[in-house]
Amino acid sequence: MSSKRTAALLCATLVCLSGCARERSSTRRLAFITNNAADFWTIARKGTEKADAELTDATVEFRLGDGTAAAQKRIVDDLLAKGVDGIAISPVDPANQTAMLNDAAKQALVFTHDSDAPDSRRECYVGTDNVAAGRQAGELIKEALPQGGKIALFVGKLDARNAQERLQGIKEAIAGTTIELIDVRTDDTDQVRAKANVSEMLVAHADVAALVGLWSYNGPAILNAVRDAGKVGQVKIVAFDEDDETLAGVKAGAIVGTVVQQPFEFGYQSITLLDKALKGDRSGVPASKQVFIPTMVIRQNTVDEFRTKVTTLRGR
Amino acid sequence: MKKEFATFLLLVILCVIVTALNPRFLSAANLQNTARLIGAFGIFSLGLGLVIVTGGIDLSVGSAFALLGVLLSIMLTEWHLAWPLAVLAVIALGAVLGALNGLLITRLGLQPFIVTLCGLLLYRGLARFIADDETKGFGDAAGFQTLQRLATGSLLHVPTPFVALVLTSLVMWVVLHRSVFGRHLFATGRNETAARYSGIKVQRVIVSAYVILGILTGIAAIVFAFYTNSVSPSSHGSFFELYGIAAAVLGGCSLRGGEGSVVGILVGTTLLQVLQNLVNLLGIPSSLNFAVMGGVILIGAVGDQVLQRRATRVAAV
Repeated sequence: MSSKRTAALLCATLVCLSGCARERSSTRRLAFITNNAADFWTIARKGTEKADAELTDATVEFRLGDGTAAAQKRIVDDLLAKGVDGIAISPVDPANQTAMLNDAAKQALVFTHDSDAPDSRRECYVGTDNVAAGRQAGELIKEALPQGGKIALFVGKLDARNAQERLQGIKEAIAGTTIELIDVRTDDTDQVRAKANVSEMLVAHADVAALVGLWSYNGPAILNAVRDAGKVGQVKIVAFDEDDETLAGVKAGAIVGTVVQQPFEFGYQSITLLDKALKGDRSGVPASKQVFIPTMVIRQNTVDEFRTKVTTLRGR
Repeated sequence: MKKEFATFLLLVILCVIVTALNPRFLSAANLQNTARLIGAFGIFSLGLGLVIVTGGIDLSVGSAFALLGVLLSIMLTEWHLAWPLAVLAVIALGAVLGALNGLLITRLGLQPFIVTLCGLLLYRGLARFIADDETKGFGDAAGFQTLQRLATGSLLHVPTPFVALVLTSLVMWVVLHRSVFGRHLFATGRNETAARYSGIKVQRVIVSAYVILGILTGIAAIVFAFYTNSVSPSSHGSFFELYGIAAAVLGGCSLRGGEGSVVGILVGTTLLQVLQNLVNLLGIPSSLNFAVMGGVILIGAVGDQVLQRRATRVAAV
């Protein structure tokens, strides 16, 4: 009796275990890790959620970083311990996180998104071509200043890769014109300083013709400072990203235009491509191992449509 | 020689040099910009100075700016509260946070550093959670334009934050240098035990200092929120407490407590803002911003120390 019961128990355990094992092998665990917490990622999250809903045999976990490489390492370690199959991550400090990404790549399929780490063993990069985005901004500047003039750039940190690339794109676009880049001021993501930098630029160079904000909060900071100085319209503004105030500024005509990325696509494409690759289908990964999601230029005539879209995506 | 005088001297020398290199330093637009920032930073620095006089410290001010800013935006743009009510709520909440810090420090005997370090983490996290990690803005301030004008406008060409700072300074000067409470603050900071034995209600004095700081933090939070016109919960006000602490110490407050003056804190705040202003006006690369700040302050500290020693030696002879 007792041996029979033991046998039954053993059988039940085996059935259970095999069931678990089967479930494990059929459901792929995917994770999407951001570099920090920002509105941008709220939209990307919607993209990962759409992919999650479409993929019946995969689960998607969305994790927010806090802007440090340490936090990302902790998140990645956690996920690997839980047996994650695929990770899409926006590395905070790509150059120095290569080892961490390579370690992760031994246990899971690793994609980078938003910011690339080309030297690592990541399978693919999904994100913006920031040099191209910079060129688009450069075109906006050229349009706004047909006679040429002095321009100044504002950004949080200039050692960030996307800042460098956007700067490069702008320089390429204005090369050979009479537009002169006089300065790039940084604020270390302190928004009070960001606005003060602009106010002080307007004092130091009263003849500056256009101001460009490379990061999302720089647009509103420029707009507010220019407004305080009573120079709206007189000083042209070009921005990046889709901050509410930036869009309001474009709508009002105070900002010439803004170059926006498509974070929704970052989330959606990263997860669907990751899942496909895990299933052995690598057709979505090009030879260059880079999937560029194009940036768009939003101007006064297209801003309403874009605003509606963003509002829906943010779930407001 | 008083410490604040050395800082004042440094400030004057700096202003003369900057004006010589770029006369625009004294242009109306630049003076207004700088005065606005001095106002905003000065208001809470005075409160921090008061707490430092009692021998305490508050590291949570910057995070409190984020939390109060996020709440202000929600109250005005989502709940559509009447703006005087929202302002009162923010200042009252600031006072409550201050009282909480004060009570934890005095009743439970916790170290101010630990209590407020926890505040720094806690308020930042709460701000991010409440805002759902989204930037909270004020848009075109529909329904509360009066408040926006109050916080960002000018009175006879003087920026309102600076006017607020002048008024606050007058009140704080009386409180710190001309009132019994002020005497008690200094006594508590210099020697808490002695103060207690001489009949001063030490605990009440300390809690009051944190509450005053809380109220001033609330006022400054409103000014900062409208200065940027939006509050990004993860970075708004980050490390601003250090500007306050630095301003107080530059102005002659001792971190050991028992020393400090309102005039000194004002001079310290002004020096810090002028240092950042000159980096932009003289076209010094932004990357050198903190290096310039650190370098000039260090020169000031060394100069002060050398002069003090010489003065002691002369006195001894």
